[in-house]
Amino acid sequence: MRFSSVLKFGGLTALTASLSTLAYAEGVNGPVDGEIGFQRAVTPVMESIVDLNVWLVWLMGAICVFVLVLMVYIMFRFREKANPVPSKTSHNTTIEIIWTLVPVLILLVMAVPSIKLLYAQDVIPEADLTIKATGNTWNWEYSYPDYENVDSFVSNIVDIEIDEKRTADGEALSHQEIINIIDARPADEPRLDGRPYLLATDAPLVVPVNKTVVVQVTSNNNLHAFAVPQFGIKIDAIPGRINQTYFKVNAGEEGTYYGQCSELCGIKHAFMPIEVQVVSQVEFDRWIANGGSFDTDFSQNETGGSQTAGMK
Amino acid sequence: MSDHAVEHDYDLIDPSPWPFFSGMAVLIWGFGMVVFFAGLHPRSVENPNGMMEFLFSRGLDMWSVEGASNGGWIILLLGFIAMTYVMIGWWRDVIREADAGTHTPVVQIGLRYGMIMFIMQEIMFFVGWFWMFFEFGLFHKIRAKWNPDVTVAPESYADGYGLNAGGNAIHTINPWDLPLINTLVLLLSGTTVTWAHHALIKNDRKSASTGLLLTVLLGIFFTFLQGVEYMEEFSHRDTTGFWLDSNVYGSTFFLATGFHGLHVLIGTIFLFVIWLRVVRGGMKPDQHFGFEAAAWYWHFVDVVWLFLFTFVYVVFALH
Amino acid sequence: MAGATGYGAHGDAPSFFKRWFASCNHKDIGTLYLIFGILSGLIGGYLSFMMRLELGEPGFQYFANPHTFNMYVSMHGLLMIFFLVMPSLIGGFGNWFVPLMIGAPDMAFPRMNNFSFWLLPTALFFLLLSMFVPGNPSGDGFAGSWVMYPPLSTSGHSGPAFDFVIIGLLAAGFSSIFGAINFITTILNMRAPGMTMHKMPLFAWGVLVTAFLLLLALPVLAAALFMLMTDRSIGTGFFDAAKGGDPVMFQHLFWFFGHPEVYIMILPAFGIVSHIISTFSRKPIFGYLGMAYAMVSIGVVGFVVWAHHMFTVGMDVDLKAYFLGATLVIAVPTGIKIFSWLATMWGGSIRFSLPMQWALAFIFLFVVGGVTGVYLANAGLDTAVHDTYFVVAHFHYVLSMGAVFGLFAGFTYWFGKMSGYLYNKWLAGLHFWLFFIGVNLVFFPQHFLGMQGMPRRYVDYPEAYTLWNQVSTFGAMITMLGVLVFLIWVIEAFIVKRKAGDNYWGEGANTLEWTLPSPPRYHEFNTLPRIK
Ligand code: HEA
Ligand code: HEA
Ligand code: CUA
Ligand SMILES: [Cu+2]
Repeated sequence: MRFSSVLKFGGLTALTASLSTLAYAEGVNGPVDGEIGFQRAVTPVMESIVDLNVWLVWLMGAICVFVLVLMVYIMFRFREKANPVPSKTSHNTTIEIIWTLVPVLILLVMAVPSIKLLYAQDVIPEADLTIKATGNTWNWEYSYPDYENVDSFVSNIVDIEIDEKRTADGEALSHQEIINIIDARPADEPRLDGRPYLLATDAPLVVPVNKTVVVQVTSNNNLHAFAVPQFGIKIDAIPGRINQTYFKVNAGEEGTYYGQCSELCGIKHAFMPIEVQVVSQVEFDRWIANGGSFDTDFSQNETGGSQTAGMK
Repeated sequence: MSDHAVEHDYDLIDPSPWPFFSGMAVLIWGFGMVVFFAGLHPRSVENPNGMMEFLFSRGLDMWSVEGASNGGWIILLLGFIAMTYVMIGWWRDVIREADAGTHTPVVQIGLRYGMIMFIMQEIMFFVGWFWMFFEFGLFHKIRAKWNPDVTVAPESYADGYGLNAGGNAIHTINPWDLPLINTLVLLLSGTTVTWAHHALIKNDRKSASTGLLLTVLLGIFFTFLQGVEYMEEFSHRDTTGFWLDSNVYGSTFFLATGFHGLHVLIGTIFLFVIWLRVVRGGMKPDQHFGFEAAAWYWHFVDVVWLFLFTFVYVVFALH
Repeated sequence: MAGATGYGAHGDAPSFFKRWFASCNHKDIGTLYLIFGILSGLIGGYLSFMMRLELGEPGFQYFANPHTFNMYVSMHGLLMIFFLVMPSLIGGFGNWFVPLMIGAPDMAFPRMNNFSFWLLPTALFFLLLSMFVPGNPSGDGFAGSWVMYPPLSTSGHSGPAFDFVIIGLLAAGFSSIFGAINFITTILNMRAPGMTMHKMPLFAWGVLVTAFLLLLALPVLAAALFMLMTDRSIGTGFFDAAKGGDPVMFQHLFWFFGHPEVYIMILPAFGIVSHIISTFSRKPIFGYLGMAYAMVSIGVVGFVVWAHHMFTVGMDVDLKAYFLGATLVIAVPTGIKIFSWLATMWGGSIRFSLPMQWALAFIFLFVVGGVTGVYLANAGLDTAVHDTYFVVAHFHYVLSMGAVFGLFAGFTYWFGKMSGYLYNKWLAGLHFWLFFIGVNLVFFPQHFLGMQGMPRRYVDYPEAYTLWNQVSTFGAMITMLGVLVFLIWVIEAFIVKRKAGDNYWGEGANTLEWTLPSPPRYHEFNTLPRIK
């Protein structure tokens, strides 16, 4: 029963902690508990999204506060006690024109950077690398059409079967218990090894850093959506169509990034994550030369740290 | 304000069982639809303990016909019977009320508004089908070019989708054959119904009933010719690759013309009922809204056909 | 709902069966709609509560089968929209008060009015039944969300569950279409002598615009549903890529209906709130014409912005820019409404009775939901938050706090008029505060989840989303308490039977319904009122 923990407000400490640190620690990837903003941006597109977002959050906040303050003021100033005799005014052309024109102006000002961002996102530059991501029920299949020696491969979530997530008497396993089961597997089976559960896969997409990567997205059956929040990309996978988007990870941002399928696709919609391993060009070339083998050792990465690429 | 002295011309209707019954009739009919269609194309459902199984596949098996795994058509038929019964009862009441003089001028204006709104929603229904047709039938190629990010994967299209790059030319129907005749039939029926209308206003009841009857017959003739056309296409579907399940053009063609055909049928029945009423002495020169509603509906059906003929038959065939 | 002074007392109300099953009386039909709406609201609320409980912690708590969870999400959306908000706001209040406000003795087509109602229990029956028949090999029920995108709803749901949903929605859709025809005719043709369009109460305006939106949008949905049906059962290829069709086409058809649909749900609430603000400020509505035509322009512009729900389907960038701009435009007429409400209060003599509290909360929370809508309209940003909980937060602020607060505002405002009884102020006030605090706790943190990237329609999520989900679930518990208190105050009012006067709000309430007894007689306006 999880009522109790909800009522206990388990995360209150985390809340205070996170509100005081609005900025991310360097190098943190993926979602962070208690955060209230976007994940850390690592591509120019996501950086512009964050910029516009900041602008808009302030603007939207200002509009809300303006309405709220005005309303509270009116509620106070014109409450029955303070103003027993109501006026009968019902027109004032000037003020009506003002509250029509001011929003128009605000929106015009907003539209300019917004459309700029839109075109920056949508007009795809020359590709350094093209990859194809195909949505299946329920996993992603990646291929590297530029490189003949890399076979297309399927990227599955590292998880246990859905019906194993409950004990025989119907008690649900907690995430920690599931993670323990996964990490107790033999070494030649996919394990988490510290990567986040529900985000980690057994075969990540591998791309070079600071290069324009164009992703062609399509689907074999249901709709899916290929999304990586930190890159600022999200594009639907649609049978019969090939959609495109691109990203270019900033120099020095090698690491592992996560995304999740973002279009309802059936029972395992929540269980087909996207894991992207961003490596240096040198590493990438070595990986390609190795035929895309996940036995490639990425431990020589500049950023160091745990760079387990998972198992094939 | 006194309770009982009614001093307005609106039509307050006494309690009526028909709305409730029609809700129930739709219930039966909807049930039948689902069971019937689920049965026509048996789909693999690996959940044997579902309620459907329990309700239908066992209990009604004894009526099942070839190709359908259950007796959905029985329920469907029951639904249709129930709906027909409700409609007859309902309209009989309306006609009685009209004859009793409750359709005062203001009520008639209301009926006019109502009919116009009803036709408006019918138009929007066809907007849906035409949107579908324009998207795929006419603009698909342009649309693909328009958006360079959307590349159509040719291998994923079935052969025979004519406008799609890489596909074979699609089979089309020669518009100057049956379709043209059909167009003329419908246009002619538009004139006969107008003739009947003018006759009715002049209280020439003989011509009015002849005009109406002619319209009904022309409507039936249209449906007949359309049926012939469908049969023709159905029998050749293996060689032409043109049927409602062969590609999206076939689907739009048959569903759009099919729904139009359904509306022709409804309009014909509507006109037929009006004809009966005229024959029995209903419909006055100065008060015959039922007639007008039927005529408006008929013209609407006519106009939809002109659009279908122009785009679905002629323009598409020119491609 | 007849009290001792109610229509029953006048001896012209028919017997029980005739009255409730064969009714041709707009007030009785309105009552039926409201009862129906409360029932669906309870079922939809139950589904959402189960969803929130499941999402209170990472892992599978209550749903062993994710398919069932998705089915709950889908049914929650469909029930709340088609069976709570639309029937209550339009069918319930529209039926009750549009004729009374415009001085008409009944609706234009009283029998068709009842037909509109009786299609709904049938429709609801099909939807509920669908939950217990096979959806696809993964489980029972339709789990393809309220937007029903193919191919998940065609090849992805092989079982008959979705066929039942289609039939149910078609029935509900035709119910609304006939209702719309009825309202338009009533409003255009049956206004009391002297009541010009420009003197008509704003609620009637709201319903009129809504009815036009229904009339023009629903048939397109009907066409799309028929296409799904034939794609599923007789092999047509509208949305099947292998046959040259395109799943995205369904999304266009759906949202061409779906976007007007969201205004269908809010415009009647706008109307209700206008009356309440004016009543409790004891001032006429400020900028009446601007208010009326703002609703008209929201309705018109609402038809040309639909693809802002589809910014990630791979549309042409110029088209995206168009839909971005067109969507922003709607903020202008909506702003006119917000500011006119504030100006109505300005200079007034404001009483904070319960309906006014709901209305004030409506205004502020709708603005919060509205500005996040404007945020979403920026296609570039929408890429980041589309299909995340940010969108869920947006639309619950305008629905669960906009439309539903408008619903409760109207319900408390007119409860005495409809039933003849006054509610217990303390209990009903408790309902307000529990609800107000509850829903804000549920949905405000969802903005954060969305920004952090938590996708919608997820049965389980990475631990990094735990905190805000806990807060949200905690809020849902408070909300459910609120729903309970709501039921209690309604029942209490009927048990205790405190009599309501003709115009229990006093001076500010000056539309026609306040000149009538509470509850009004079985037939009102046998002599038409004359408006100066
Ligand atoms: C009652 C229902 C309702 C209402 C009224 C609205 C109102 C608006 N909505 Fe919302 N919306 C939904 C219900 C509603 N929406 C639903 C259900 C969905 C999700 C569907 C799904 O996917 O399941 C959705 C999704 C949705 C999306 C798609 C998001 C996505 O899926 O990625 C977008 C994008 O543009 C959007 C925009 C807007 C805008 C711009 C408004 C505007 O009308 C808001 C206008 C109001 C204001 C702006 C506030 C008041 C104005 C002022 C105080 C003036 C000053 C303001 C400015 C100058 C900005 N909505
Ligand atoms: C009007 C619409 C409406 C309303 C009121 C609500 C109310 C609530 N919704 Fe709703 N929700 C949707 C429409 C609505 N929702 C839609 C369209 C979706 C998307 C579905 C999809 O993805 O397909 C969704 C999805 C959705 C999700 C996302 C699920 C997911 O993506 O995985 C969640 C999660 O928390 C949620 C929770 C809630 C909660 C806790 C409430 C609470 O506020 C509930 C509280 C209870 C009530 C508000 C009912 C009380 C009313 C009455 C008892 C009747 C009163 C009647 C009269 C006075 C006449 N909803
Ligand atoms: Cu794949 Cu959701
Ligand atoms: Cu919208």
